[in-house]
Amino acid sequence: MIALWYGILAFMLTTYIVLDGRNFGVGILHWIVARNQNERRQVIAAIGPLWSWHEVWLVGTGGVMVMAFPRLMAASFSGCYLALMLILWCLLLRGISIEVGGHMSDRLWQQFWDAVFVFSNVLLAVLFGAALGNVGRGVPLNTEGTFYLPFFTNFGIRGNVGLLDWYTVPVALFGVLTLTAHGATYLTMKTVGPVHERSVKLARRLWIAVIPAFVIITVLTWFVRPELLAGIAVRPVTWATMLICIAGAYAVVNGFRHQREYQALLGSTFVLFGILMTGAAALFPVVLFSTTDANLRLTAADCAAPEYSLGIAAAWWFPALILAVCYLVIIQRHYSGKVNVSKDNQGLY
Amino acid sequence: MENTLTDPAFWHRIHFGFTITYHYLFPQLTMGLAWFLVYWKWRALRTGDEKYNRAARFWARIFGLNFAVGVVTGIPMEFQFGTNWAAFSKYSGAIIGQTLAMEGMFAFFLESAFIGAFIWGEKRLGPRTHFLTAVCVATGSWLSGFFILVTNAFMQHPVGYALAPNGTLELVDVGAFLLNPWALVQYAHNQSAALVTGSFVIAALGAFYTLRRIHPEQASVYLKTGTLVGLVASVLVAFPTGDSQAKMVGAYQPATLASMEGLFHGERLADVTMIGQPNVSQQRLENPIGLPGALSFLAYGTFQSYVRGLDEFPKDDWPDNIELVYYAFHLMITLGTIFILIMAWANWKRWRGRLESSTALLWVLMLAFPFPYIATSLGWMTAEMGRQPWLIHGLFRTNNGYSQVVSSGDTIFTLIGFAGLYFVLGLLFLYLTGREIYKGPDAEHGAPSHQEVPA
Repeated sequence: MIALWYGILAFMLTTYIVLDGRNFGVGILHWIVARNQNERRQVIAAIGPLWSWHEVWLVGTGGVMVMAFPRLMAASFSGCYLALMLILWCLLLRGISIEVGGHMSDRLWQQFWDAVFVFSNVLLAVLFGAALGNVGRGVPLNTEGTFYLPFFTNFGIRGNVGLLDWYTVPVALFGVLTLTAHGATYLTMKTVGPVHERSVKLARRLWIAVIPAFVIITVLTWFVRPELLAGIAVRPVTWATMLICIAGAYAVVNGFRHQREYQALLGSTFVLFGILMTGAAALFPVVLFSTTDANLRLTAADCAAPEYSLGIAAAWWFPALILAVCYLVIIQRHYSGKVNVSKDNQGLY
Repeated sequence: MENTLTDPAFWHRIHFGFTITYHYLFPQLTMGLAWFLVYWKWRALRTGDEKYNRAARFWARIFGLNFAVGVVTGIPMEFQFGTNWAAFSKYSGAIIGQTLAMEGMFAFFLESAFIGAFIWGEKRLGPRTHFLTAVCVATGSWLSGFFILVTNAFMQHPVGYALAPNGTLELVDVGAFLLNPWALVQYAHNQSAALVTGSFVIAALGAFYTLRRIHPEQASVYLKTGTLVGLVASVLVAFPTGDSQAKMVGAYQPATLASMEGLFHGERLADVTMIGQPNVSQQRLENPIGLPGALSFLAYGTFQSYVRGLDEFPKDDWPDNIELVYYAFHLMITLGTIFILIMAWANWKRWRGRLESSTALLWVLMLAFPFPYIATSLGWMTAEMGRQPWLIHGLFRTNNGYSQVVSSGDTIFTLIGFAGLYFVLGLLFLYLTGREIYKGPDAEHGAPSHQEVPA
C-alpha cells in the first residue's frame, strides 16, 4: 500500500511538472519566439484558461502528500520554507500575468505583464529543478527528522548543505533546458506564422542540447548519489519507465522529421514523464536522503499514514482520477488545434 | 511578558489568518454566484428570453475574475499546512489530508476543466451543453466548499479518528468523518452565507444601474433575482442553519459559547446580550442589556436550561482572546439581522411594484454589498478564534501545531510579502471588476480586445 501511494504521489507530481512545465517553457521562450504584441498574445493564448487545470495537479499533489506521507510533507515543506514561498509568489504572479495582460489595452502595461510572465516562469522552472535536485542529493536531516535549508552555504554537497550547490544548480539548469524544449514543442503545435517557425527551429536545437546535458547530469548524479543509479539497476519498474522515455525520444525525433507536431508533443511529454518517474522509482524506498548522516534518511514507510487511511484513499482516488481524465477528454476538443488570437481566449475571463 | 515579535506561534496564526481571510473573499462570491448562473441559463433555455443569457454572460465574467483570484490565493493555503503548520500536518495529515486531496481530485478538476468552456464556449457549445458546463462549474465550486468544511469541522469537533501507536491520528471511520454532524450544519450555514453575499452583490449592481438609469432591462433582472434569493438566503443563514450552529457550539464547545456571549459565570435563564462589553480581567460584562433567558432557550431548548460560564473551565482552555470572539459574534448577528430587514423591505417594495422607483431603498441596496463579506469574515473569526486554544478541539493545541524549524522572522517576512502582493492583487481586481461594470452587461464580450497593435 505504501509503495502504491508512493507511486501515486510520484505520478501526480510528475504529471504536474509535465503539464505546467510546458507553460514554464512557453513563458521562458515568450520573448524569444514572439517579437511583437500580436505574437505575444498568441503565445499566451496557447496556454489559455487551462493553466488553472494544470495547477490543480499541484494542489492535488499537496493533498495526496499530506494524506499519504504527512511526515514527509511536514519535514520538506517547512524545511524549504523560503524557497516554497518564492514558488507560491511566482505562481501567483504568473497567474495574474496570464489573466491581466491581455485585458489591459495600454502597451506599456502589456509589456510589463509580459515581463512578469517571463520572470515568474523562469524562476518557477529554476526552483522546481533545484527542488528535484535537492530530493536527489538529500537534505541535512537531524535526529528529529526535520531540517532547514538556507538558499546556499558553501556549495558543497555534504553536511550542512543549502538549496543551491554545485549539484542542484546544474540540475536546475537541466530542468530549465528540458522544460524550454518541452514548451517549444508545445508551441509548434499551437501556433502559426513566424512564432511557429521560430518554435520549430528552437525546439530542434533545444532537444539536441538536452542530450549532452542529460549525460552530464547522469554522471553528476553518479558522483553525488550513486544509490540512485544502483536503484535503477535493481528495480525492474525503472526499465519500463526508461522504455517510455526512449519511446518518447523516438516520437520527438520522428514527429519533427515528418512535421507531426502532435506526435512530437506527445513524445516530449513521455520523455519528461519517463525521466521523472525513473528518478522517483530509483529513489524508492527512500524519500529523503540525509547529507549529514546516512542513517538519518527518511523512508516512505517512516513517513506514511496508517494503513486504513491509505486503503480508504485508494478506494476513492482511482475513480477520481478516471473522472478527471474524462473531463479532460470532454474538454480537449474545445481547446484542440492552433490558437487564433482574435478568437481564442487568454485566461479565465 | 514575552516579546510578541519573537513568538512564532502568534505570527504563524496571523499568517494563516490573513491569507485565508483574504482568500475567502473570492470563493464566497463564486459559490454565491454559481447557482444564479445556472438559474439564468435554465431560464434562458426554458423561455428563450435573451435577457437571461445576457445576465449569465455578464456575471460569468465577474465569476471568472473571482475564480482566477481564488485560484492564485488558494494554492498558498494548501502549502501552508506543510510550510507553517508542519507539526499539525504530521499529527493529523492522515485525516485532514483525505479531504484536502479529495477537494483537488473531485472538485477542482471538475471546476477548472469546465470554467473556460463555460465562460468562452457559449457559441461553440450550443445552449444545452453550455447550461451543463454551468452546472459542472457550480457543482465543482460547492463540492470544494464541502470538503474544506469537513476538514474544518474535524478541527472543531473531531470524529471518526483514533490515536495511532506512533502518537499521530489515524482515520478509523471515514463515513463518520465525512458526515460529521458539525460539518453538515456548518456547510449549510456557510453556503447560505455565500448565497447572501452573491445576492447582495447582484442586487447592488442592479440598484447601481437603476440609479444611473442605464441597462434598465438587466438591472431589473438583477434586482428581482437578487432580492428574492437574498431574502430566502438571509433567513436561512439565521434559521435554521445559524441556530443549529449555535446549538452545536453549545453542545461540543461550551467554553466557546460562553466566550461568544461573554458569560463568565454559569446560570439558568442566561441572557442573550444585545449590548455590552466583556471585561476579562474583572470577569464581567460591562453595561449589559440582554434578553433574559434567550441564550438558555436558543442553545439548549428551554429557558431554564443551565448555560455554563467561563469560570467552570480551566483558564488554560479559554479562548485566548475572548473580547474578539465576543465582538465578532455579536457584530455578525447584528449584520445578519439587518440583512433580513433590508431584503424584507426590498421584497415588500417589489411586491408592491415600487422597487425601481424607491430611491432610498436602491441606495441602501447599492451600498450594502460589502457587509455580507464582513459578516462572513466575522463568522469565521468566531469559529476559528472561538476554537482556541485548540487547533483540533480537545485534542491538539494551537501552540503545538506550528513548524518548529521556521523562525518568527521568516514568517513575518513572508507575511509582509503576501500583504504586499495581495494589496496589488486587490487593486487589479477592483480595477478590472470596475471596468466590467462600466462596460456593462450589454457590451459584446468579444475575444481579448486590443489585438490590432502591430509591431
